[in-house]
Amino acid sequence: MSLAVRDVSHWYRRVHALDGIRADAAPGRVTAVIGPNAAGKSTLLRCLIGALRPVHGEVLIDGEPAHRITTRRLAQRVAYVPQRPQVAAAFTVRAVVELGRYALPASRARVDAALAQLELTAIADRPFPALSVGQQQRATLARAVAQLSEDGHLVLDEPTSAMDLRHERECMGLLRRLAGAGATVVIAMHDLMLAADMADDCWLLDGGRLAAAGPAREVMDLQRLRAVFGVEFEWVDRPGRSPLLVAATNGTAPQALE
Amino acid sequence: MSGGRRHLLGLGVLAALAGLAAALRILLDRSPEGTLSLALPQPAWAWVRWTALAVGATVGSGLATSGVLLQALLRNPLASPFILGISAGAGLGVMSAMYVGHVAGVTTGSNLGPALIGALAVLAVVYTLSQRGGWLDPVSLVLVGVIVSAICGAMIMFLQHLVPSGLHGEITRWMMGRIPESTPAATLIMAGGLSLAGVIVAMIMGRAMDAATLGDDEARSVGLALGRLRVWMFILAGALTAAAVALCGPIAFVGLIAPHAARLVLGPHHTLLVPAAALVGIVLVVGSDVTRQAIDLGGGRMPIGVFTALIGGPAFIWLLRSGKGQA
Repeated sequence: MSLAVRDVSHWYRRVHALDGIRADAAPGRVTAVIGPNAAGKSTLLRCLIGALRPVHGEVLIDGEPAHRITTRRLAQRVAYVPQRPQVAAAFTVRAVVELGRYALPASRARVDAALAQLELTAIADRPFPALSVGQQQRATLARAVAQLSEDGHLVLDEPTSAMDLRHERECMGLLRRLAGAGATVVIAMHDLMLAADMADDCWLLDGGRLAAAGPAREVMDLQRLRAVFGVEFEWVDRPGRSPLLVAATNGTAPQALE
Repeated sequence: MSGGRRHLLGLGVLAALAGLAAALRILLDRSPEGTLSLALPQPAWAWVRWTALAVGATVGSGLATSGVLLQALLRNPLASPFILGISAGAGLGVMSAMYVGHVAGVTTGSNLGPALIGALAVLAVVYTLSQRGGWLDPVSLVLVGVIVSAICGAMIMFLQHLVPSGLHGEITRWMMGRIPESTPAATLIMAGGLSLAGVIVAMIMGRAMDAATLGDDEARSVGLALGRLRVWMFILAGALTAAAVALCGPIAFVGLIAPHAARLVLGPHHTLLVPAAALVGIVLVVGSDVTRQAIDLGGGRMPIGVFTALIGGPAFIWLLRSGKGQA
């Protein structure tokens, strides 16, 4: 039960988006995909969910090439949360979450549980387009939670980018619990402090290439981060808690991102 | 009131309105002096009225279902058979058959075949030109559809220019949309059967169309084979439009307005939306035909396209302004 990227290269009209990526995401762990803009994070995630077949290489889902798995069977293994949810109809929040069960047997209990986990029960009957973007992101995450099997794979692209701090932290806690229950969680993030705080593993992308992959603390080497992001970072020890990654503004004094 | 009862009531109201429009189409009589009355038609007129009713129901339900399919397919509340050039393609097919018939000196018979060929040919062109990296790009689809529609319109005008002036009146009336009072039985049965089958198939595909309203990657991630669904829905929408154009000529706004009006009553779920939109389409087309029957401004009976545009245009603007138009 794993997600494996095998020598994946992809390009759009001669522009290399991905170049020879080889990495593994293990079940029970949260893997953060980090990198500057246009590093290839979203393209890699699209390959992981089978939406994009790379020009070279392949993505293996539980050992099976993604492009050989039918859409319906893929949905039973992999759930996906995009950065910008799109629902071009005035469905209620509950109806949107129910779409997570499209390829699976209907389950009111799973849908109710997903709504409750994302604190959406009170607004379950409101139209999705009437929600704030942060609420829409929570509803989309709830849909993926309703879809995800215990040992399935959850792929997320900046899923909390519009959420307030409390809901962002609660969603991250939820992702950690899902991973703890056996799911494989792969999440693209811009917030390096958050990634350092919650990810077990990390894939660092730079210009379509994999700059490093492995345990998050090892990948987030200060010199490597400076080379990739062009910003000074440092780890700040916190008594009784994991160290905090902080970045310097304009390459000068370190400033906590919290 | 529970959701199920509310939906049942909504469908019941729409069915009652469609029934009322149908009854008026059969019973409404206008004397030579212009007096309106309700009475069973004379046997000589009964067949004409039943035929007109069947044509109106076929066209209304077909165009409305086509509109629902296209709006879901493109995730665009402004999508309609006209936007994609399907109506224009079907019209060009019919016009080409008229012209060939005129040159060869033969009667072309049913318009259904030429309309279907024209609609599907335009679909093939639009579909091919809208591919981006192996996927159908909804934005390109709309742009290509608009351009192909304009080209088909120009070719229709060119062919109209070539035929003798004696045929211009008939062609102009057809292009403005009219419900014929005599239609070959085979054409009516084929078109009617197609519309009925289209409504049933679209209802069966309702949940898939619900999922198709998500973004492309999201729709696939929940298990929807989006590419295959789009191809089949596209073809079905083309066939329904072709049947409508073959019977009545291009009729504007029904494919655009009926889905929106149905959403206001039944909500966005396609399993219910499809039959609701079909009923609204019947109300619009048959109701417009009844209104046309009732009004005589001295220049003969007006084309039905005038009424659907007069009703549909303002309704569309209202939908747009009120923000109630969601795909």
